[in-house]
Amino acid sequence: MFRLYSIVAIGLLLLAVGFLGVEEVNAEANKVKIGVLHSLSGTMAISETSLKDVVLMAVEEINTAGGVMGKQIEPVVVDPASDWDLFAEKAKDLITKEEVAVVFGCWTSVSRKSVLPVFEEHNSLLFYPVQYEGEEQSLNVFYTAATPNQQLIPAAEYMMEEVGAKKFYLLGTDYVFPRTANKVLKAYLKTKGVPDGNIVEEYTQFHHQDYQTIVGKIKKFAAGGDACVLSTINGDSNVPFYKEFANQGLTSDDCPIMAFSVAEDELRAMDVPPLVGHLAAWNYFQSINTPENKEFVKNFKAFCERNNLPGGSKRVTDDPIEAAYFGVYVWKAAVEEAGSFDVDKVREAVYGLEFDAPGGKKQMHASNQHTLKPVYIGEIKKNGQFKIIYKSDGLVSPDSYSSYLHPDGIYPAPTGGPKEKIGM
Amino acid sequence: MRRIFRIISLIFLQLITVVYLCFAEADDTFIRSETLKLADEDASTRRAAIMTLAQSGDLRAEALLESYRLGELYLWNGQVVRCTDMVEDEDFNEFYILSDLLTDELILGAAGNRAGVPLEELEELSPSRAERRTAHSAKFLVRLSSPDPEVRISGVKKCGDPPGIIEAVSQLEEIAQNDPVKKIRYVAQESLLLIRLSQTSREHDPQAHLEIVRELGKMKSLRGLPRLQEMFDELMVEVEALPDFEEGTDIEDLDPADVASLGIYKYGIAYKYAVNQINSYQGFVEGIGNIFRGLSLGSVLILMALGLAITFGLMGVINMAHGELMMIGAYATFEMQRLFGHTPDSPSDWYYVAALPVSFLTAALIGYVIEVLVVRHLYRRPLESLLATWGIGLILIQLVRIRYGDNIGVNAPTWARGGFEVLQDLIVPYSRCFIIFLCGLCVLLIYYLMNYTKLGLRVRATMQNRNMANSMGVNTQRVDRYTFAFGSGIAGVAGYAWTLIGGVTPDMGQTNFIIDSFLVVVTGGVGELIGVICAGLGIGVLMKMIEPLGIGSLVVGAIWAKILLLIIIVGFIQFKPAGLFAPKGRLSDV
Repeated sequence: MFRLYSIVAIGLLLLAVGFLGVEEVNAEANKVKIGVLHSLSGTMAISETSLKDVVLMAVEEINTAGGVMGKQIEPVVVDPASDWDLFAEKAKDLITKEEVAVVFGCWTSVSRKSVLPVFEEHNSLLFYPVQYEGEEQSLNVFYTAATPNQQLIPAAEYMMEEVGAKKFYLLGTDYVFPRTANKVLKAYLKTKGVPDGNIVEEYTQFHHQDYQTIVGKIKKFAAGGDACVLSTINGDSNVPFYKEFANQGLTSDDCPIMAFSVAEDELRAMDVPPLVGHLAAWNYFQSINTPENKEFVKNFKAFCERNNLPGGSKRVTDDPIEAAYFGVYVWKAAVEEAGSFDVDKVREAVYGLEFDAPGGKKQMHASNQHTLKPVYIGEIKKNGQFKIIYKSDGLVSPDSYSSYLHPDGIYPAPTGGPKEKIGM
Repeated sequence: MRRIFRIISLIFLQLITVVYLCFAEADDTFIRSETLKLADEDASTRRAAIMTLAQSGDLRAEALLESYRLGELYLWNGQVVRCTDMVEDEDFNEFYILSDLLTDELILGAAGNRAGVPLEELEELSPSRAERRTAHSAKFLVRLSSPDPEVRISGVKKCGDPPGIIEAVSQLEEIAQNDPVKKIRYVAQESLLLIRLSQTSREHDPQAHLEIVRELGKMKSLRGLPRLQEMFDELMVEVEALPDFEEGTDIEDLDPADVASLGIYKYGIAYKYAVNQINSYQGFVEGIGNIFRGLSLGSVLILMALGLAITFGLMGVINMAHGELMMIGAYATFEMQRLFGHTPDSPSDWYYVAALPVSFLTAALIGYVIEVLVVRHLYRRPLESLLATWGIGLILIQLVRIRYGDNIGVNAPTWARGGFEVLQDLIVPYSRCFIIFLCGLCVLLIYYLMNYTKLGLRVRATMQNRNMANSMGVNTQRVDRYTFAFGSGIAGVAGYAWTLIGGVTPDMGQTNFIIDSFLVVVTGGVGELIGVICAGLGIGVLMKMIEPLGIGSLVVGAIWAKILLLIIIVGFIQFKPAGLFAPKGRLSDV
């Protein structure tokens, strides 16, 4: 009961501080507002909360180091509650009422699609930090995570060339990312001469929990010994899937699972022993062995502990967390280069920008809004971390539109961008 | 007699392994010199070295080959060392930390500290793609000598997977004859046949080829199935190309070469027969498997619905917080895990035993509080109780989220991992068996409580006619309170059991449980325990029967199975609006 009271008390205190803060802002103009648009409740809170945390950490670091062009950053955190319509509403509030200079946010593709018209209408800027299915290029969005050719294709190639897989079970949750991802994967596998009979595609609904039949099918499919699963299963369905997989006697030797949506943060919620030896493809792992990354991981843990966030020092970093983090720094660097907070000027400054991220040097693409990143493949270890077993040679350039889905080489033009002024 | 022999051979084998391992330690120089050959200029020497290492019988070779495959081995001062770590000094010069190949001890520098070696002094043993794959498959050859049956069987299996490791044949033969574990002998035999199948062809050694095919069919080898099917399909292409004969042609008039070509039909029949043999067995196993899966899903559904059958079925409270009470049970289990310090590395399985009463009591306590604070004011207003309990559910979710965050993992106790093979190719997971058992136990407990105890009598009296029970001296308010708490406690137990097979998140109640629970209770007939059991099992088995159905490549799958199931239930409710077991007589008017 005491805890409850203290929670209430802290809540009230925070509210009071918040009001004071508002007063202060009005008094002081030497600040710049940024929006943080991540779900803190509802289904997606499990993933998005960490992104909000790391953005706030980046802001804190930048503020301590003197801010952006001498201005302190003031983050405006809103909670769209995993509700796609609310995403658009909150985005509009951030842009029109709070007048933020830039927004960092979204996780699911449907939430991004829902806010896209808002950002394009107001010519505002969004940094989107999650790997996604591609097939989009808006001048109002910078995509700091992977496109299919920076994650899916290298992973499939690895399975074929290194592991010797000939049969592919494409298993995913039924929504836009897995559907498009599997379309890309299938097109790619076909160009590599994998016959139709060796590819199985299957979907389950969100929160699907009973994988008995599917694992039974995979077992039969993999009996010949040269099969693998390419998994785009999302969120809490992963736990029962991996558990069932191990309990029915399948191991990563029999049939490795290459996952595209399981990172360190998700592994925290899982019973890891059944997963050991399975694979995941990302552009960053917490286990990247560089001093910069070790520093980043240490700082993040310390930040979570200092601010009494759930998990505290047990928190981990992963690919979207890194992408959300360096997104803030990319924006800062671009603002400083442009010497202005103006969206059009910042956008131009972002193109081709080179920068140091925790996971190593990266670069923004010269025109297509995405990020050049290295590709890593990691093997799950008992401690919930990844052992890196493959690294691409240098940075892989992003394709906003997959060449496997547009074999004719005709790509749609980018959307959004500067508003044409009336009368011009 | 046979068994005694087997035990003796088992002991003997272990003895040999121990002796061998001691012997192997002394053989370090051999391993080191072979590893050095991995740095050789000549590709065939390198390949030979990989194979020699794999066949050395030294179990450390597996880690060695894995390091080689991942490019962690370097040549330094004429020896091969492992390097996985790197440090930087103030001037950003990179130094590599080296460790010993076999002992993994750090190699110390001249000053006695860790030797940091600049990259220029190291030469990477960078294996080509083909070599990486050879090393990868050679790893499994090493496992054949492992004393651990789990490891050994994985090696035995992978050695036979295509293209097959020919070097493994003699060892596999040995294992197929003498391994103490029956399953391993079977797999070894299977792997041997598969390797031989890839070695012989019907042109060169038709007799042996046919024999292998027959043997695989007889073993009902699931692993052999894809290859046999493939051979059959290839053969059918050849059959298509055969010349057509006109009916009634005398065999004497035909080209002898054409007649000879008809011989391939013999193989076609052999392949098809083996494929059918395997497929019919697999169909049988799958049928049994589907029934088990149905039972298992059914027992999960029953367990979820039992608590609701009490709070909603008996008491008539539309309890939308039911799923959250299950979530509380799951988090209580997590809390116990933390208290006992159970982790994958240092398991303390007793936590799971202790968690059973704890999850029941925690959920029951919270249920009790909910009853006292909210539900008791709303007994006559079902719609309001729906909204109020839903609100309580949301509050519980957010409180748990604030306390624990979103990501927590419950590690199953070690005995709930894996499963046992009831029939060849049919594995029944322990965790599923435990849930079926727990479900049966809960049903029996509730049945006993309700029908054979004074408490149960009072509960039934209160629910059937509150005023009458009151006037007979039953404290109905207290009965309500305990009944609601008991139903909540059972929900807590369901959440506890869930941690074995599913994930734990704050909103698991809303996303996974609440709808299914209501579905079961409503289909079964409100207020009847037997209805919950029949509906739970029925829905479970039906679901698992529909899901694998399909014509050709068009399979129903998980999504459509659920849709079809809902349609069936909607249709069913049209005919029996009160569910499977409707309350009869005057009760039905209440």
